[in-house]
Amino acid sequence: MHRPDRSATSPGDIAVELREVDKTFYQRQRSERFRDVLTNLFRPTIREIRALRGVNLAIRRGEIVAYAGPNGAGKSTTVKLLSSVLAPTAGTVRCLGMDPMTERVPYVRRIGVVFGQRTELWWDQPVAASFEWKRVVWEIPRPRYDGMLAFVKDLLGIGEFFHTLARQLSLGQKMRADIALMLLHEPEILFLDEPTIGLDVLAKRNILDFINTLNRERGVTVMLTSHDMDELEQLAGRIVLIDRGRIAYDGDFVELRRRFGDRRHLTIETGTADPPTLAGVRFSGSDGNRHRYTFDAARTPITTLLQQASSQTAIHDVETHRSRIDDVIADIYQDWNAEHG
Amino acid sequence: MSVVTTVAARWRVQAHLDFMWMTKDLRFFLINVVGDVILNLAGVTAVFLLAERFDGIGLWSRDQVVFMLGYAALVRGFLDVGFGYNVLHISRRIGRGQLDHLLVQPQPLWMGLLTEGFMPFSGCWSLLTGAGISAWAVVQLGAGLPVQWWLLFGANLLASCSVALAFSFLWGALAFWAPVAAEEISSRAVGFLYQLKAFPLDGLSAVVLTGMLTVLPVGFVAWYPSRQLLGIAAPHLWHTPLAALLLALVAGIVFKKGMEHYAQTGSQRYIAWGHRG
Repeated sequence: MHRPDRSATSPGDIAVELREVDKTFYQRQRSERFRDVLTNLFRPTIREIRALRGVNLAIRRGEIVAYAGPNGAGKSTTVKLLSSVLAPTAGTVRCLGMDPMTERVPYVRRIGVVFGQRTELWWDQPVAASFEWKRVVWEIPRPRYDGMLAFVKDLLGIGEFFHTLARQLSLGQKMRADIALMLLHEPEILFLDEPTIGLDVLAKRNILDFINTLNRERGVTVMLTSHDMDELEQLAGRIVLIDRGRIAYDGDFVELRRRFGDRRHLTIETGTADPPTLAGVRFSGSDGNRHRYTFDAARTPITTLLQQASSQTAIHDVETHRSRIDDVIADIYQDWNAEHG
Repeated sequence: MSVVTTVAARWRVQAHLDFMWMTKDLRFFLINVVGDVILNLAGVTAVFLLAERFDGIGLWSRDQVVFMLGYAALVRGFLDVGFGYNVLHISRRIGRGQLDHLLVQPQPLWMGLLTEGFMPFSGCWSLLTGAGISAWAVVQLGAGLPVQWWLLFGANLLASCSVALAFSFLWGALAFWAPVAAEEISSRAVGFLYQLKAFPLDGLSAVVLTGMLTVLPVGFVAWYPSRQLLGIAAPHLWHTPLAALLLALVAGIVFKKGMEHYAQTGSQRYIAWGHRG
């Protein structure tokens, strides 16, 4: 199967580079008081929103990077900056050695973008028609198109609804078709903004497995935003956390857990309904003789907790497991919110 | 690939999409065709009846009025064929945050705007109506028209379409700065032209007439070029192309400014319907 010529850059090259990138928006504020009508009209209050502040980010070719953060943190703004849709207020955006704004046409030929809440499919046409349209507009040579079509049909299973109108597809089918469409021109880098939004568990898994395969077998660089941290942890080697326009963390998930606390859950079954009193843990509740706790394993070793418990009562059973990464991230967001009031 | 072949290739694929859409259902097809023909005939009927009743309007004979009505319908027809999917109503695309679709395509923006709205099957009914009315009028006028006249006719027709398109883009660009408030401004602007395009504007005061040939250039959509082509006025047949050129220039500058603004602000809202719907 055809692969795009990537000889101009070696696999170790930087694919995405943001240097000191700022993006500021201005939002009109409006008073609801009647006496402020004239002020609203002629001298409105303008609020400055700094969506990105001095962002520095480099993504190497072949990486999968999860780009995460609470709502309004600046994730979609970053994706738009990298998709030739928005220009930065300050700083430099380079991707595949190009400036997305000034070299838009050749640049977008080499990237793929999916905005989870939008579709590039022609709404009132069969999926097949959008694919043919894409072949023409992207000027994809027929043999290359046929090869890629077979590849995406096989891996994404779009054959079953290839001749169905786009508006009649389920959310999961639509996303699979959109991702397949995005891949027809064999982009070197994918920007996926919430690609699993609204999908059921199975559809999500299919999409994420496919992204993984694409990265592994074809070396495609992937940057994806999502709120689903558990699945991101399975997929991405690296997570970039953004908060209020700044990068708050950039590293792997193991380090993330270590840095922000290795939170674990402990369940102890005893012979009594009274829970043992343990130091350095948070008691979460009891179901009969089963008592649940949450603790930070980096600070409080589990052996210490078990010693404390067994000194108070007979232990019948013990279960422990790590917090889901979703919970870890939620705690981080909560801490950030508390810090910023 | 040259620009011409590129445009032709894109038009071909859009034509295919349009044909498949148009023929998806027999009832849909018939309703679409009949509806469009009725709408187009209704748009010119009032003026035609007046011309018929009084055997012309002012300087215009009945057949000359019919020629102008046909010309106006042709302008609408070409715009319907070439600039569907809200390309003509560009403020909708801007206001609904749908320009992003075009920006992620590897082609210049003008190429996308020129080709993405091509609807030769679903949009052709105004064109056919206009061609029918024009042909009838030309036959009635009975003049053996030279090739040069037909060339000027074509050039003026193209210019009139450009005037309407530029007018829509000029006003539509406001949506870059006020996306919600101005979302429908292109359709209002085009609607204004469509409403008045079939009326002979002779006899209006100089001030109003100047306004109708500058600020609200409805005169260039059919009246002005028709009276030149029919010899009702002195044959300054380059006036309409010149007006089209100037208006397109102004619209292009304003639209470019709008795009620069869009690159800074982007779109804060996205409405799925209306673009690919």
